[in-house]
Amino acid sequence: MLRRSVIGGSLAVAVAIGLSACGGSGGGEGDTGSKTVRVTLANHVWTENLKKALPAFESQSGLKVEITQLGEDQLSDQYNVKLNAGSSDLDVMMYRPLQEGKLFAKNKYLADLSDQTKASKDWDFSDFQAGPVEATSYKGKPVGVPIITEREVLYYRKDLLAKAGLTAPPKTLDELKTAAAAVKAADPGVAGFVARTGKSPAVTQFSSYLYSFGGDFDSGGKSAVNSEAAKKAYAFYGGLIKDSGPANVSTDMSWPEAMAIFTQGKAAFYTEADSLYKNATDPAKSKVSDTVGFAPFPAGPAGSKPYNIPSWALGINDASKNKANAWKFIAWATGKEQTLAQQKSGVPSARTSVWANPEGTATYPKDLAEAIAASAKGGVGHDRPQVVKVAQAREIVGQPIVDAITGKEPGASADTANQAFQKFLDDEQK
Amino acid sequence: MKTRTPYRVFRVVALVVVVLSMVAPLLWMVAASFKTNVDIYDSSKALAFSPTLENYTKVLQQANYVQFIGNSLWVAFAATVLSLILGVPAAYSMSRFSMKKSALVVLMARVIPGVSLLVPWYYVFSNLRMVGGFTVLILSHMFVSLPLIVYIMMGFFDGLPMELEEAALVDGLTHIGAFRRITLPLSMPGIATAGILSFIFSWNNFMFALVLSGADTKTLPVAIFDFVGYASIDWGGLMAAATVVTLPIMLIALFVQKYVVSGLTAGATKG
Repeated sequence: MLRRSVIGGSLAVAVAIGLSACGGSGGGEGDTGSKTVRVTLANHVWTENLKKALPAFESQSGLKVEITQLGEDQLSDQYNVKLNAGSSDLDVMMYRPLQEGKLFAKNKYLADLSDQTKASKDWDFSDFQAGPVEATSYKGKPVGVPIITEREVLYYRKDLLAKAGLTAPPKTLDELKTAAAAVKAADPGVAGFVARTGKSPAVTQFSSYLYSFGGDFDSGGKSAVNSEAAKKAYAFYGGLIKDSGPANVSTDMSWPEAMAIFTQGKAAFYTEADSLYKNATDPAKSKVSDTVGFAPFPAGPAGSKPYNIPSWALGINDASKNKANAWKFIAWATGKEQTLAQQKSGVPSARTSVWANPEGTATYPKDLAEAIAASAKGGVGHDRPQVVKVAQAREIVGQPIVDAITGKEPGASADTANQAFQKFLDDEQK
Repeated sequence: MKTRTPYRVFRVVALVVVVLSMVAPLLWMVAASFKTNVDIYDSSKALAFSPTLENYTKVLQQANYVQFIGNSLWVAFAATVLSLILGVPAAYSMSRFSMKKSALVVLMARVIPGVSLLVPWYYVFSNLRMVGGFTVLILSHMFVSLPLIVYIMMGFFDGLPMELEEAALVDGLTHIGAFRRITLPLSMPGIATAGILSFIFSWNNFMFALVLSGADTKTLPVAIFDFVGYASIDWGGLMAAATVVTLPIMLIALFVQKYVVSGLTAGATKG
């Protein structure tokens, strides 16, 4: 009896493996040309805007668009299950190029869009910014179209600066440090600076500091998180929060927590993704909507080098049997007209022509538009290690940030992280 | 006998600490569901704030929650009833005829992490064109509730004296008749416990519904994430939705807790 159930058990495992194996190879040949395009999107302002414009597209193209909408992590979980099973139920996917793009491309979940992106002159692929396009390409071939971009900018409080006797926002990281200390000295109840402190969430916002000090997470397969530049960046970021940050700061903050401190008026400076700006300028969410200002990311020893990345992109499931119509949807959703409409309602795009168009930035606070324009120029195309298992890598390279905040010696911590990250990179090469 | 005062003081303090720490998050949730998004983060307005019903309007009118509540109720109800119909007789035979190894196999279903089954399930059900329908949701939830029910009921049946059934057999009832007329009515508390626990598990199940449900068949735990966006989180709406999800199950638990507790111990000590 026992033996039988053991056999039964291993049989079940074997079947499961077999299933996922044939799932992988259950290819996407053939095109059914169905009039229904199945689109999976994340909860985002972009999605809400798109849904409003959708009826016009449907009546003009004769296609029916079926939308499934999910939270960021739920979306990711669902992709992992469905794509792993080789499902053809998904046609168009909204995904995070830097978080899961490499994994999806490596597993051949994303269709090669080389032909489609070249085909249409009006749509004009060359209009997309280079950094984001690089992040949505795999081995030189486009596998996604960037729809939403973000850069790190400096959020600051005009009134608190004036109170501390400062006339302009800091232009360099050293000035930021002095200004943050000055604000805290002028009013001990208010923190000079706040930013993400959680091991993994902080990595992306720390990246601009790292680049501006002249470092990067890795270079050519070699971990670089204990380079001189990286050590200085860790010490600076952690030190700034330790010295001028909120009292008893938690080391578990992502953007909702850090943003809350800023929008409740409890901090003067905050470095964060520009795509979150509405949280600070909307009076329904923020108490400082009147006094918030924006400035380009302050320059470090290597200049001002914020990231400029596509946070979301659209791709086509390689197993989809409806690729032609899926592309029609993408071409419309990422076309110049839709992109302009999206950007006007607060979604920063990846199209150069839309940024160059005065209409495209008319709804943005003027200083924010300027900060974005400055960042887009020198921007680095990634804000986290470019690996397959991104979540794991973030845990490793994020540890020295937490250590620096809690007052541990950042250099030693960076050395430890470097060792772990090198091992991680070696494992991934295998 | 008089209890000593230090002990009584300690008892009261301990009770207060435990109750407060358990209830505080719940109270915070309910309070936040009546606040605007700005006020939620404001610690000076933790207790004194001007309440708004805006969040509930959003949840019940715009976000289609009435439909999701209906979905959740239907899936949890159907999965529980079907599991009871299959599980109670199964538990009875396993208990009476000493089928311990079959019982072990049923338990395996609880041991295997559900997430490892999702990919094969999805593969099978999507080829059967069942993904997105209620049937597949009910089936997957039964996977959780059936072993639970079988195990609770086995313990319960083990505790019922054999002599009662033997007496019924002597009096001329068949085996099935004895089960139906004697054992089943006596095991009602156990069935109530098993049913309620299975209902709660199904109500709270997130993983299976996430992958297997469609836009129209979404259950509450999945729908609640509609309030969490990439660059914006609607805390007020989220808390109102969470209250809506918690309330029914809390009411049910409150009314039937007597059964749950007695049923649990019945299964535990005599199993």
